[in-house]
Amino acid sequence: MSRLLFALALATLAAPAQDPRGIIEEVQKRSRSTSQRYEGTLRVINARGRVTGKRWRYDRLGSHGSSKAVLRFLDPAEVRGVALLVLNHPQRSSDQWMWTPALQRERRIAFQDRRTRFFGTDFSFEDLEERDVDQYDLRLDGQEALGGVPCWRIEARPKQSKVSQYDRSLLWVRKDHYVYWRIENYSRGSLLRRATYSDIENVQGIWTARTIQMADLRQDSRTLLKLEKLEYNLPLKDESFTLQALRVE
Amino acid sequence: MLLRLLSWPYLRKHVLRWTLTLAGIALGAAVFVATHAASQSVRAAFQRTVEDIAGATQLQVWAGDFGFPEEVLERVQSLREVRAAVPVIEAVIDTGLQGQGNLYVLGVDLTGDRGLRRYDLESGEEALIDDPLVFLAQPDSIMLTREFAAQNALQIGGRIRLGGMEGEKWFTVRGIMRPEGWAKAFGGSLAVMDIYAAQLMLGRGRRFDRIDLAVEDGVPIEQCQAALKKLLGPGFEVEPPSARGRHFEAMLEGYSITVNISSLLALLIGMFIIYNSFAIAVTQRRAEIGVLRALGATRGQIRTLFLAESAVAGVVGSLAGVAAGLALARAVTANTARLTQQVYGVAQNIEQLFVTPALLAAAVAIGIATSMVAAWLPARQAARVDPVQALQKGKYQVLTAGENRLRRVVAALLALVSAACLLFGSAGWVFYTGYALLVPVALLLAPTLSLWLARLLRPLLRRLRPVEGALAADSLLAAPRRTSATVSALMLALALVVGFGGIARSVYISVVEWLDSALNPDLFVTPSQNLASRAFAFPAEIGPQVESIEGVSQVQLVRSARVLFRQKPVTVFSIEVASLERTSPRPALAGDPKQMYRLAAAGQGVIVSDAFSRLQGVGYGEAVELPTPSGMLRLPVVGVTRDFSDQQGAVMLDRSVYQRWWKDSSVSVVRVYVKPGVSPEAVRRRILERLAGQRRLLVLSNRQVREHILQVTDQWFGMTYSQIAVAILVAVLGIVNTLIVSITDRRRELGVLQAVGGLRRQVRHTVWMEALAIGAIGLLLGLALGAVNLLYALENALRLAGLRLDYRYPFELALLLVPLILGAAWIAALGPARAAVRARLVEALEYE
Repeated sequence: MSRLLFALALATLAAPAQDPRGIIEEVQKRSRSTSQRYEGTLRVINARGRVTGKRWRYDRLGSHGSSKAVLRFLDPAEVRGVALLVLNHPQRSSDQWMWTPALQRERRIAFQDRRTRFFGTDFSFEDLEERDVDQYDLRLDGQEALGGVPCWRIEARPKQSKVSQYDRSLLWVRKDHYVYWRIENYSRGSLLRRATYSDIENVQGIWTARTIQMADLRQDSRTLLKLEKLEYNLPLKDESFTLQALRVE
Repeated sequence: MLLRLLSWPYLRKHVLRWTLTLAGIALGAAVFVATHAASQSVRAAFQRTVEDIAGATQLQVWAGDFGFPEEVLERVQSLREVRAAVPVIEAVIDTGLQGQGNLYVLGVDLTGDRGLRRYDLESGEEALIDDPLVFLAQPDSIMLTREFAAQNALQIGGRIRLGGMEGEKWFTVRGIMRPEGWAKAFGGSLAVMDIYAAQLMLGRGRRFDRIDLAVEDGVPIEQCQAALKKLLGPGFEVEPPSARGRHFEAMLEGYSITVNISSLLALLIGMFIIYNSFAIAVTQRRAEIGVLRALGATRGQIRTLFLAESAVAGVVGSLAGVAAGLALARAVTANTARLTQQVYGVAQNIEQLFVTPALLAAAVAIGIATSMVAAWLPARQAARVDPVQALQKGKYQVLTAGENRLRRVVAALLALVSAACLLFGSAGWVFYTGYALLVPVALLLAPTLSLWLARLLRPLLRRLRPVEGALAADSLLAAPRRTSATVSALMLALALVVGFGGIARSVYISVVEWLDSALNPDLFVTPSQNLASRAFAFPAEIGPQVESIEGVSQVQLVRSARVLFRQKPVTVFSIEVASLERTSPRPALAGDPKQMYRLAAAGQGVIVSDAFSRLQGVGYGEAVELPTPSGMLRLPVVGVTRDFSDQQGAVMLDRSVYQRWWKDSSVSVVRVYVKPGVSPEAVRRRILERLAGQRRLLVLSNRQVREHILQVTDQWFGMTYSQIAVAILVAVLGIVNTLIVSITDRRRELGVLQAVGGLRRQVRHTVWMEALAIGAIGLLLGLALGAVNLLYALENALRLAGLRLDYRYPFELALLLVPLILGAAWIAALGPARAAVRARLVEALEYE
């Protein structure tokens, strides 16, 4: 999951450190790993304060652009065993399948409305996509200390060829660890969503935010994602990321 | 002015007759409004459901009732012109809940469906739509409308038991929708479930019924439609939701024809009642017309007077008819909806009548036109009244020999033309011209034939009652014009009854013969009570499961559904043809039977029904192109058989061909033959014991299936009985009118009879016998004309419905009509006879 969230960072070619593309490239480089596993705890707090929770295990194999991931729900009981297989492709949208144990079958998911919320969270499906850096214009918007932490502020605008619900995003990258500290997504001048990163830890040499909060400003709701039992570069097998494997557990 | 001075006093004096005239017009208008409103309501309900459910769908992809494999969805979604494409499964199932009836079950994929349909849930339940995970993870999830939930006291978390392919199952209510937007569809009797749960419940396997899609912004719909057609090939239909209404219309073509025939009959009957009333009015007002003419009124003025009267009667009668029609429409609509469900397997939820202003305006216009057309001849006769002859009682009722001869000659010529049209008219308009000519031929000959028959009846009547019989017969012989209108009306009504009854009898006999030879298995295992319903299907495993049951000799797996052939819905049956040949060989109407079965079993051809061959214009040896998910299946017609499975036509092919081209192994019906000496009932019980707990299943005996099909056939031809009722009404009204005039004309004669010692009883018997004689003449002519009409009706059935039927005169019906019509005639005579007896002797003798 966090791999997907990190995908908000846009891949770039080598560039000078002060160049926005160079900064994003460094973010990518420092977060790179061959695989990842964690257990995610998710709490969605809606406008009326109602809290719903979910827990899942996340396995990812491969790096940006061509990774494979399996997300298997652990809680609540009604969704235990439901699994999501995501195959990312460098040039096109990801392929996704969902395994439903009660029906004993998988379904291909075509989330064509990318603005749709990801299973009741405040993340939209577009927020979770791995994006092609070439489809964005990047500009260094300034530098500021956010929560006392010095950051670069980079503006990303989708190019004309890119279809997006947002027309502008602001990315705050920490200068110390080259990790995201905040992301704001705008449409027609209005701030729609804000992702805030916290609990930064060095896990196996990779600085990682262990807590991510995504707020939907229109719905006045927020989602807290906590990464637990996080591990990088595990010896995960390719065959664990297939439809057959999805059916096994 | 003339209307007020002349017509109004006459109307006030003859309220009953005018009421009858208005009733004639009202009858036509009422039947027209009721049948068409019912038909429109059924169509509108279907269209409304389709459009409501469609939501924001711009195009729909489907491949007939069989559906298509899931993989098609990915191909559709891959098209760049498509913004969103979501799969749909739909079915109307019987809830079995008291007072609930049918429930429209919509299977959708909630992960993508929001792009097309707005799910407006009751407050507090938005999470279900935003997070469909629980809904998707639990196959027992169901969303209901607030209306349906309230009616069944269901809340979130509540459970509802519904019958699916796996038997009765509990479903958990996980969402309650506001009855707005598309959730209003099917009157709110709507349930939404996950598409894969719906596949399981309805036995669809890994298939979808349809794909609903929205076009990418900025892409014209036509461009997307063309791209999809190119991508999917000719086996798929890609149309806007509104197109489904057109296909439904095409499916109901047979029903529409029946409705139109029914309306036409009612209008014809109404026309004759009006004609009869006006003819009598002209007769009674002859002296008055004579005086008017003597005072200088022109022929045109007299004609206009009567036509104006008819127009006024038309307006009043039509309005009354429209009101009666609207009152009647609800009952007719319910019947029509039942019929469409039983015959076509399409269930409806008709909450309201759909009546357009155009329909009402048409009914009024038709009523007025009918009234004026019917009054035209009497008005013309009134205009031709000779002032001198008008004062000579009775003379005008006589037909001159020259007039008679002329009528016979014209009738003979027209009859020749009509017969030629029947025999040689390949074009539709030629045939129908010939058919229409039958009416003037009958009308022209009616007075002469009535006269001849009256002469033949005279000895019989005299034998029954020497004085009264002779007087009654002489009355008819003296004034053939007076009775000819009633006789003609009765004759035409009965001819229609006989024609329709003959068709019904032929169809019935043919259906029985078809049932005997084609539907001869001992048992039928089906997933639905209604054999026409296509909501459920079995998986292929049902075959071996049933075959392994003790006592079963062999099973045949049938898969049937409608596909579009040249934009017309036809039924495709797949079955193991070789096995079918062994158990249920059918004669071939075209082609060699042995070769027909051999080639079809080898997958080298299809066997088509007679109706298909006729209606779709595909004969023996010609190629049939059927749309399938794998492309266009092109096979030659290797045989034509008589088959009543589908009015639009049926195509039978081998199951192997079906499985290969449709990529579907599901089963609609299992035909079961039991071993010799084994009781089918015992096998039926064993099948139920073994399988009923595992899946939704009904085991129907051969007798039950026969009864069901014959019941539907009876229902279809139930109109015959209403026609008989109308014919009797015509007889009664016509005879009452005729006798009233007859008594008026013969007041002096009847007065003299009483003056010379005739008893009241004798006067009464005279009137009764005259009525019976009119009834008998109308009956004889009607039954004879019916025999001719049946010839045309059979040709008509062949042209319109593709039904090749044998000529079978409905003798039972004819025999039934004899007491009915004579009884009606006698009842009709009771009132006039009483009036004749009560006439004051002095006044009667002073008459003239």
